[in-house]
Amino acid sequence: MTSDNGESGSTNRRGPFSELLSVESKLALRAPYGLGLGIVFPTVLLVVFGLIGNAVPGNVTNTGFTILDLYIPIIMVIGFFGVAISALPIPLVRDRESGWLRRVSTTPVGPSRVLAAQLVLNLAFALVGIVIVLLGSVLVFGATLSVGVYFVFSTILALAEIFSLGLVVAAIAPSQTAQNAISGALFFLMLFLSGLWYPAAEASGPLQTIMYYSPGGAAVNAMLGSVFGTAPPLAAVATMVVYAVIFAAVATRYFRWE
Amino acid sequence: MMSERALEVPRPSDTSVDSQKAPEEVITVQHLTKRYGDFIAVNDVSFSVREKEIFGIIGPNGAGKTTTVECVSGVRVPDSGSISVYGLSPQEDRNSMREFVGVQLQETALPPRLKVGEAVNLFASFYPHPLNPDELLESLGIKQIEDSIFRKLSGGQKQRLSIALALVGRPKIAILDELTTGLDPEARRETWDLIEGIRRRGTTVILVTHFMDEAERLCDRLALINHGTLAVLDTPEAIAATAGGTRVRFVPSRQVDDDTLLAIPGVTKVERKERYVTVIGNGDLALSVMSSLAKVGVSVSELEAKKGSLDDAFVELTKDGRSKVYGGAQQ
Repeated sequence: MTSDNGESGSTNRRGPFSELLSVESKLALRAPYGLGLGIVFPTVLLVVFGLIGNAVPGNVTNTGFTILDLYIPIIMVIGFFGVAISALPIPLVRDRESGWLRRVSTTPVGPSRVLAAQLVLNLAFALVGIVIVLLGSVLVFGATLSVGVYFVFSTILALAEIFSLGLVVAAIAPSQTAQNAISGALFFLMLFLSGLWYPAAEASGPLQTIMYYSPGGAAVNAMLGSVFGTAPPLAAVATMVVYAVIFAAVATRYFRWE
Repeated sequence: MMSERALEVPRPSDTSVDSQKAPEEVITVQHLTKRYGDFIAVNDVSFSVREKEIFGIIGPNGAGKTTTVECVSGVRVPDSGSISVYGLSPQEDRNSMREFVGVQLQETALPPRLKVGEAVNLFASFYPHPLNPDELLESLGIKQIEDSIFRKLSGGQKQRLSIALALVGRPKIAILDELTTGLDPEARRETWDLIEGIRRRGTTVILVTHFMDEAERLCDRLALINHGTLAVLDTPEAIAATAGGTRVRFVPSRQVDDDTLLAIPGVTKVERKERYVTVIGNGDLALSVMSSLAKVGVSVSELEAKKGSLDDAFVELTKDGRSKVYGGAQQ
């Protein structure tokens, strides 16, 4: 009889996870790292390389691709890195350092849901980035893509590998300052290895090998064939799988809630 | 009226409102021990908390207070000993316990851009039968800042929000750690009123503090923890009376040596300042001083007796190498 006094009505009450997701989304938009790195940055890169591609049409250096073709997977992979190793660890390291994850662990819900909400949210940023790059390159810059099951396969592997690396950063960074430094250095390295300055397809010799066997280069290599409907190279797929397993194991081993 | 109801907490069904009945012990801690490496933070501590009391845990910084309550709330795992909270183990039954134990951890910050209202609504969604967030904010006096982000809040507002988060799940037990540290005197007094309000509504409160005035004012019983061990467990008045002792100051009609004074029943310590002599001890000290000195032909004048305070008791019970860390208690 009195037990319902003061209780919020059962109507309009969301479950803990959707409430958490909604709150984390609002927070992510108030400090829009994921939005900027996962969506705005790839969009800007698309426009830049789309315009360059239009100015310098045709195939480049015997790769059989236009400049925009070469950069489509690079731009996507860079977006993944931005979201996963820069944006994703920020709230996780901050909320661990501030004791917030520990505070949540005293409720019936537990901090793993915070991590899950962050993953869902940042994957959503990455997916929006993918859609923008695909639609923009085809509709605005006239690329002829053939997106199908190979593309989905390569993209899922790339996301698994790169998001696991992001969780490694969140796991090993002892403080927000350290996380900033680690994420910044790693992001810059991955921009290079993914081919932002010099696509791996155009490189040769040891540099190309290093790029192809880096987390970013392997993802770009797999996705480059995939966006045109051809099977990704086995070496690239295997490289991504190995990285994904290693990163996931390290993240699981070292991740702390407090 | 709404705000009164907002903090109402359902009473556990197994206790009636029969005030004659002995209070039920809802938390039992037995032989709790917790080490961090070689350092023994808590060493064989045992105590019980009764339903609907405000149970204080006091002690110098680093004494093991926070570790003790963190073991009770299930945040830490004890090395040995047993803890029972409404018959449940904080470690093994952590999931069911979290539904009825509200915790305010020392030095927890929220995400900097999280708004007050969002935080309380979020926590409400975590519990099966939460309080109405709006009414809770209203009753804590922070409804008007529900759209403020955490980073912009004052110390007092942050503490109120922290209390709101600890209470929104309608807990049967609220564990509050260093709630008023860093607050100005006015905000501290307001927080005290809130804690009394929580108890009036039927919630059992464990309060960790190093402020003696706070412990004296709020707590029904106090556990004093020093060097990880339980030094004393009693009501604040009893602790003050026993350990704080009585101080009797007087001017003797002629010189009396320390041995004579220490021979008086109840006297444990003698202090001298100018012509004043102060004896410290227990019992009806003024009377025994006068009668004993009369026997040796000494009369006393300007006699002044003062009961020891909880502060005195605290100093007495924690005086050793570490008593100098006794920082915030002198107010």
